[in-house]
Amino acid sequence: MNRDSISDQPTNNNVDVENLPLYGVDVVEVAQGVAGPFCGRFLAALGANVVKIERPPLGDWSREVGPFLPGDVRSECSALYLYNNMGKKSVLVNWETKAGMDELATLVSNADVLIEDWDRAYREEQRLSTDRFTSQNPELIEICATPFGLTGPYSLWKSTPMVQLALGGFLYLTGDNAEEPLMLPGRQPDYLTGLNAHIAVQIALWERARSGKGQFLEMSMLETLGTLHQFTFLMETYSGVTRTRNGREWNKQGPFASYGITTLPCDDGWVCFGISAEDQWERMCAMLGREDLLTDPEYDTRQKRSENSATLDRMVIDWMKGKTRQEVFRETSEVWLLPTAPVLNLHEVLGDPQLTRRNLFQPLSHPVAGDAQYPTFPFSMSEFNTVVARAPLLGEHTSEVLGGELE
Amino acid sequence: MSKPEYTGGGSLSDLRVLDLTRVWAGPLATRILGDFGAQIIRIVDPRSLMPRASGYDNKLSRNKLNMAVRLDKDAGRQILLELASISDVVIENFRPRVMRNLRLSYDEIKAVNSEIVMCSMPGFGLEGPYSEYPAYGTTAEAFVAMPWLIGYDQSAPMPTGIAYGDPISGLNTVGALLASLRKRNMTGGGQFIDVALVAGPATTTGEFFVANSADGYEPEVRCNRQPDQAPHSAYKAAGDDNWIAIAVTSDEEWNSLCAIVDDESLCDARFSDLEGRKHHEDAIDNVISEWVKPRDAEELTALLQEAGVPAGRVANSRQLLDDRHLAARDFYVEFDEPEVGPKPYEGQSIPGNHVDKSRWQRAHQMGQDSRHVLVDLLGYSNDDCDALASEETVAFSHDMPNSAAGA
Repeated sequence: MNRDSISDQPTNNNVDVENLPLYGVDVVEVAQGVAGPFCGRFLAALGANVVKIERPPLGDWSREVGPFLPGDVRSECSALYLYNNMGKKSVLVNWETKAGMDELATLVSNADVLIEDWDRAYREEQRLSTDRFTSQNPELIEICATPFGLTGPYSLWKSTPMVQLALGGFLYLTGDNAEEPLMLPGRQPDYLTGLNAHIAVQIALWERARSGKGQFLEMSMLETLGTLHQFTFLMETYSGVTRTRNGREWNKQGPFASYGITTLPCDDGWVCFGISAEDQWERMCAMLGREDLLTDPEYDTRQKRSENSATLDRMVIDWMKGKTRQEVFRETSEVWLLPTAPVLNLHEVLGDPQLTRRNLFQPLSHPVAGDAQYPTFPFSMSEFNTVVARAPLLGEHTSEVLGGELE
Repeated sequence: MSKPEYTGGGSLSDLRVLDLTRVWAGPLATRILGDFGAQIIRIVDPRSLMPRASGYDNKLSRNKLNMAVRLDKDAGRQILLELASISDVVIENFRPRVMRNLRLSYDEIKAVNSEIVMCSMPGFGLEGPYSEYPAYGTTAEAFVAMPWLIGYDQSAPMPTGIAYGDPISGLNTVGALLASLRKRNMTGGGQFIDVALVAGPATTTGEFFVANSADGYEPEVRCNRQPDQAPHSAYKAAGDDNWIAIAVTSDEEWNSLCAIVDDESLCDARFSDLEGRKHHEDAIDNVISEWVKPRDAEELTALLQEAGVPAGRVANSRQLLDDRHLAARDFYVEFDEPEVGPKPYEGQSIPGNHVDKSRWQRAHQMGQDSRHVLVDLLGYSNDDCDALASEETVAFSHDMPNSAAGA
């Protein structure tokens, strides 16, 4: 297949790219998987020119990881790859050869940002020092996103999303009490690290606009997780309570215990309640027709309500009898101003009227993988839209970007 | 009015942010900006109670000024507009009607500062059928299907233990703000940003939505099992609720694991490839479970990692606070508090030029900076301040109970 001959329209929205904040920012991405690429995708959506360097013959390893869309060439159909590499160019360069590294160095010498994920072991093996690129291009912002960072006792360890969630304290908090702790779906540590990485790049660009200087930015997934706990450390340091998992009852423990951040069944599925403030408790009692609970000594503190959660659960479940998830959601939200949500499935989310109104999912057509809906961003802007464009085929832009230089 | 130079250092020291946010997502976003030197003026209602004893303020409102002012009074609203006229960013996360009722919507703020970047972070976004519905991190993740991607089986949804909507929303907000500020510097003009808490977790599970939209794909959910790795579970270790996550991602890692476990029943040709291990995963897990049971999770983690097997102790809060890798990388920061003594808090995981940690300030108490803001930034006289205090529009820290907790 001559990939250069494919001339579809990769962008589905009419965005004036020159009007975008990162227009003119040249990004080279050698990172693979999710953390670095999700950062690159964010920058591409804001107008940056992101050239993804993939090593032949297979390219980014996420091309081999499912779920896969239907299509003839499997390596072009990974939903993981297609989502995380939206709006980028793909160029084949094997940086593990001398000629390939020279080629990469040339590209990076003219770039503003390099996104890489070379960990300590790989750097030692490839003899890649941390100033390999910044010494030649002092204005370069190089972001190095690895599981544990380049220093410290774990810096040679291997990681996966589950291992990362385990060491970062998230795994311990999800699942039933005393049962096997459960991982978050997919690759959450990588996504969170990608979000952190794109912030780091934007802050470094802000500073560079003033100082003219680039930076080498070393980041660790483990530290990313460490900064995204809510009550975990505080319960330990202030109350001596080690926060643990409590199944579908979220705030069962410690000084923040109350009723009820909890997920309960109704006629056609499950509803998640997020009741925590005192006024919400009062409105919940009114909703249940049980204002008597407000003066009942069994329920007059948050702690007691937490201890009596099984009884309260039954009252709420009884109240939901004969109602659908959507009916419960509307009534609790509109009449009683309680934070609740139907626990939707993937298909229902894609068709939800609120998210549709926000254009959260956008259709894209891919020459091999076909049509699909792609999440965009949780924000919308008054003055510009982000770019929505499909991911590249392996090496689709090699000749466009490198021209005749390789020959 | 000229903008005084903020002398805190850090890449963002030329920015001023009016922070009206509460709970987690918003304060997390402004914490990042503050750690990088932006001047964060936190606007609080003098009638609200500060949860000081929990440390929650120290965690999320470090490096921020505290201005206590009632926005529902004309003089208070006027103060906010005056501050908006000399600020770069206004950020809030009330339900949409709150800012409308205060007559502090984007149009009204823009009228005093056409370059302002304003960000609203309501649960469901500012427009659409659910825009006035309240939401919390846990209801947000439920709304976009995340609990159906976690569980022991597919019979019931399992929420994360993280209130996961919030950190994703907070990190996206910082990205959107920085992009808008960059655009303002390039072309002039402000921006209004609308961030929907519920949309966040859909963007870190993008591959599931892309695949589901194409062909109805639903992942199989069974504990920590993965389609392309085996074994892949958390195993109970010695002690109370201690676990270790072990993820075998290749045949090589499998062989290394077998050599350590040294159990004849694992030396089975049927287990030599992924397909065989997936087929016999229950049997394999039984052997590994028995082997792990009497052993120490932390020691086992080091042993397995040294042999090249991805593994991680399932850390709880106590273990995370004592983690030797995080300690070696100087991750934590300590704030001393008069009534409770020194406590550790997570540092900043986003790399770059932060305010030097030695200059970080613990949370200011309510109204601690009201006078500084009014006098030094807005040119009010001390008599003006006293008048505002006597009509209870503004509070100063000495008016508050427990003022001994001052810095």
